[in-house]
Amino acid sequence: MTSVERDALVDLINNPPRGSKLAAARDFGIDLSLFVSSLELTPTERARRLSAAASFFDSVRVIVRKSR
Amino acid sequence: MDLESALRALYDEKVEAVLIGGAAMALLGCSLNTKDIDFCYQRSKQNAERLARAMAPHHPRLRNAPSGLPFRFDAETIHGGLDFTLTTDLGDVDFLAEVAGLGFYDAVQRASVTMNINGIDCQVLSVAGLIKAKKAAGRPRDLYAIPELEALEELRKKTGLD
Repeated sequence: MTSVERDALVDLINNPPRGSKLAAARDFGIDLSLFVSSLELTPTERARRLSAAASFFDSVRVIVRKSR
Repeated sequence: MDLESALRALYDEKVEAVLIGGAAMALLGCSLNTKDIDFCYQRSKQNAERLARAMAPHHPRLRNAPSGLPFRFDAETIHGGLDFTLTTDLGDVDFLAEVAGLGFYDAVQRASVTMNINGIDCQVLSVAGLIKAKKAAGRPRDLYAIPELEALEELRKKTGLD
């Protein structure tokens, strides 16, 4: 993502047009800023991030189960 | 969960399958986390053989089934069944024959996009396809995902990012 593209993305997220799906999602409670960190990644990086998060939650689940 | 290895396993055996569900959402840019990998697969005999070969090294077994229950994820089982919820060495992997709101593999494939994951070209259900599927599934967790997907779709259209 170029800096121009990033600026456009951040601007849209900070100022979603009235009546847009972005504005509706923000009003629904979605943190739109998370789109920036995600869309900055390549699909491969997104896949790795998802796998890492899943592994982290798995290890937390194991710890919680053992502590009961 | 090892999404890259799961995609690689299917790619290496030329399995016809489309990544759907939460993992597809994450690859397309949603911030959602999920612990399983869902695919819609093509139901020909040849594809069942390929799928069985692709998953065999990863020890697929039925998820949440009694430990002694005999089960073999082979071509015959796949061809004779529809949906499989599996635990594998790569994590929880589901293979579904049909996606709500879209239909069987051919329709799901038409609603997919090609994404390159570490050199592997794989089919991923598009944002529009995911919205259609989530709306049709209609469970609270599906409906909850729709605003984020619709926002992502709009964002991608307006910025041209993918």
